[in-house]
Amino acid sequence: MGDKMDVQPGTLALMILRTLEMLGPLHGYGVARRIEEVSRHRLTLNYGTLYPALLKLEQEGFVTHEWRASENNRRAKFYTLTAAGRRQVARAAREWQQTADLIAAFLVPRPEAT
Amino acid sequence: MRYLRALIARIAGMFTRSRADAELAEELASHLAMETEENVRRGMTSAEARRRALLVAGGLTQAAEAVRDRRGLPWLEHLAADLRYAWRTLGRSPVFTAVVMITLALGIGANTAIFSVVRGVLLKPLPNRDGDQLVYLRHSTDTPGGEDINFSVPEVGDFRAGAPAFSGIAEFCPFFATLQGERGATRIQTGLVTGNFFEVMGLSAVLGRLTTSANDGPGVPPVAVLPYDFWIRRFGADSAIVGKTLRVDGNVVTIIGVLQPAPSFPEHVDVWMNMVVSPHHLSAQMVQDRVHRMTEIVGRLKPGVTLDGARAQVLAVDQRMQRDNAAVYDPTQHYRVTVVPYKQAIGQRSSLTLWLLMAAAAFVLVIASANVGNLTLMRGVRREPELVARAALGAGAGRLRRLLLAENLLLAVVGAALGVVLAIFGVRLLTALVARTSPRADEIHIDWMVLGFTFGVAVLLALALSFVASLPREGSFGAWITAGGRRVSGGRGTQRLQRALVVVQVAVSVVLLAGAGLLTRTMIRLSDVATGLSTEQVLTVQAPLKSPTQFLADPNADTEVKQNYELIRGDILALPGVKAVGLGSAMPLTTPTLSLDFDLLVEGYTPPAGAPPAQAEIRTAGPEYFDAAGIPLIRGRGIAVTDAPGAGHVAVVNQTFVAAYFPHEDPIGRQVRLTGPLVKFSPYYADWRTIVGVVGDTRDGGLDAAPRAEIFFPFAQEPAFFGGLVVRTDSNVAALINPVTRILRRVAPDAAIEKIATVTQLRDESLAPRRLNAELISSFSLLALIIAAVGIAGVLAFSVSTRTNEIGIRMSLGADGVMVQRMVLGEGGRLLVLGLLLGIAGAYFTSGLIRGLLFGIPPRDPTTFLSVATMMGAIGLLACWIPALRASRIDPAVTMRSA
Repeated sequence: MGDKMDVQPGTLALMILRTLEMLGPLHGYGVARRIEEVSRHRLTLNYGTLYPALLKLEQEGFVTHEWRASENNRRAKFYTLTAAGRRQVARAAREWQQTADLIAAFLVPRPEAT
Repeated sequence: MRYLRALIARIAGMFTRSRADAELAEELASHLAMETEENVRRGMTSAEARRRALLVAGGLTQAAEAVRDRRGLPWLEHLAADLRYAWRTLGRSPVFTAVVMITLALGIGANTAIFSVVRGVLLKPLPNRDGDQLVYLRHSTDTPGGEDINFSVPEVGDFRAGAPAFSGIAEFCPFFATLQGERGATRIQTGLVTGNFFEVMGLSAVLGRLTTSANDGPGVPPVAVLPYDFWIRRFGADSAIVGKTLRVDGNVVTIIGVLQPAPSFPEHVDVWMNMVVSPHHLSAQMVQDRVHRMTEIVGRLKPGVTLDGARAQVLAVDQRMQRDNAAVYDPTQHYRVTVVPYKQAIGQRSSLTLWLLMAAAAFVLVIASANVGNLTLMRGVRREPELVARAALGAGAGRLRRLLLAENLLLAVVGAALGVVLAIFGVRLLTALVARTSPRADEIHIDWMVLGFTFGVAVLLALALSFVASLPREGSFGAWITAGGRRVSGGRGTQRLQRALVVVQVAVSVVLLAGAGLLTRTMIRLSDVATGLSTEQVLTVQAPLKSPTQFLADPNADTEVKQNYELIRGDILALPGVKAVGLGSAMPLTTPTLSLDFDLLVEGYTPPAGAPPAQAEIRTAGPEYFDAAGIPLIRGRGIAVTDAPGAGHVAVVNQTFVAAYFPHEDPIGRQVRLTGPLVKFSPYYADWRTIVGVVGDTRDGGLDAAPRAEIFFPFAQEPAFFGGLVVRTDSNVAALINPVTRILRRVAPDAAIEKIATVTQLRDESLAPRRLNAELISSFSLLALIIAAVGIAGVLAFSVSTRTNEIGIRMSLGADGVMVQRMVLGEGGRLLVLGLLLGIAGAYFTSGLIRGLLFGIPPRDPTTFLSVATMMGAIGLLACWIPALRASRIDPAVTMRSA
């Protein structure tokens, strides 16, 4: 288990959306588990972080929900990506990529120009 | 888009709370269960599995709270909750709530009403384009009635040529005319204007077009522009009016347009026309004679020119003009031209009254706010245990302040809303008052700006009230508990503030009462003024049979008019009950339609060096005029039937005339004649005439003005440009109005009846504005008095209730009821005396401001001040007595036990 990290502001929404895009309809527990695994357990999401974020995405129209039975027959609230959500994943991913490239360009040590 | 969507979702979220809460609980529970199962699968005991799952969850309640905050709009919900709570709390003290709301409603209502009037009449920009650039030129002299004389055409020409500060100077001649219509003739006030008038005024047409320079000069067709209100009133806003014609004084005038709504100053105008309508206004006399002053002028400043710049140029032109025409400007009369911003000139007559009312209303609001402040402070002290308990349970200072703010906002906003309702009625009343003195009364509305002002005041008040109340300090819960859960105290600071507020209330009430007292005494003085004639059973009718233009056009007009007047007089005399009917140029108690500024040569009177020549108001009177009006004959005889056109020319003068020009001699038999520059173009007899009688003075310039010197010529010997009748009857004079009107209509269907009123009505009319003024200020001060009395009583009662224990101890140690009463009265009396002293001092220094509204009493009238102080003192003591009495009835046994 690596070092624990705090969730960077603005990143959680994209992680949730991407998770739903990869795995399809999923309940809150599933989303939390997946994010923990992908982050190699450096991130743990408590409910107070996860559920308001899910609600916000729903209010913005990027996800919808329905109640159905889970793998082990428990009633759970499953979140599904909407079409707007799909577009948002693409857009946000592109923006993050650009930002990351930019920051990387600043951080990578370069030889002085000759 | 996405934020809007989220916002809508959140607003919707506020209404589905309970279902969403249940759903969230289930969701969180299922999450926890799945996590626990997973932990069990990893080999933990079920208890350990659940403990670890809860650890990761990070607090279910906090999570639910975080989701809830995200679901609705928390600040809005908190505000709503605070307001709901405030509503319940206030509902629990209905008396407090009602008193505060009513007090605020009265204070805010009065201010809203008067502020809308002040704004509409004095502050709002004129509807004219760049209205700030407009100026009114006022020509004045020192002679009586010379505050605002007109300009002559040569004078206007001098200013046009010599004052480049103006981009334009427009002429406007107020002129009476008769409008003939299907419903008979009506007298209208017209304004004859130069073509550039509307351009200079910065006004545009709502229909058709306005005049241009093409409408100037002789030989052009007569055209008319209708003011907006006249178009609505007279023509029912006929949209096809342009191109139709009016018959004015026998001329056919084409309507070319309708003007936007705009105040007209200095005269009200029913129809604007070009100069060609009146041949006289284009005559050589009008155009060339420097003393023939019939024109008002307005100028528009060029952009960037200051008022001072314009003033300097106008002064220079005026001085050069007077130097070059020394014969025309008698230096003893001090001719001068002042440049007044147009808006200010329009507001001048209303401004003193309105600012006085505004100040009175502001005072009432100050007193009302002080009272509300006091009530809030007291209530704050009573609530201290509640607030302390809330603080102990974790409410921060900010949270408590917000709670108080919500309560005060509720009080102030509901009070303001009630106030606006009051203001709607108040504005109607005030508009009628203001319409007498300002042409802008139409512009008075309770608009958004006024409402903004009202609610701004309410919110400020709420903020102030929330911050006067002191909050429990940190850790005061412990102190409160140790004190046995009793009231901690009002705190010294709070009590001092309360007392200061009471002193302010008393002082402000005294200032208001003094103003009201002065105005009321003015009213009493005025209604005691004798009019100089009989006010019982006398009817006056002002009805010129032809208008000035018709006179100028028709040489036989005068004979015809006089014959008709005699016919009318005969018919009225034949009516049952009529005892006397007299003809005259102007009715008593009114100013003549046109004042004739002739100078007089009076035999045996030489004006002292530097004084202007003799002058008097010129009127004509027929036989029976003085009898019918009840004006007493002091010496000699009145006008007789024998004073006919061919007979010797005679005159009757009034007592003021005698006092001015024959102080020590008998005027009968003396000679007078008209003189001065105006005589040469007047049709009046210009040679010597003999004074045959002296009559009593009448208050023709208003009850508050000193009588002027007047001279009466026989009606039959002078042209009847103006005319009317005075009718005396032996019973019910009002019943005469209809038959007299019918006779006039029958004999002279085209004549305009300018005014028909009994002398009592004329007298009441001249008093009405002042009466309303005095009544308004009196009701404000009465209101202030009541509020202040409630304030004193309230503060003392509170002080007594905080001292119940102390008083109980004093009484058990031997103090009796009288001593306790004296103690409480002394406490209130000190505040009262301090307030009275401050108030009298305030009144002493401010009453001079209303000097212009007073008549017959000095602004620092000791009698008024003394009676006001006595009244306030008496009411104040009464207000102290109630809590004092209650204090003296305290039962020591009861208070000691409850302690």
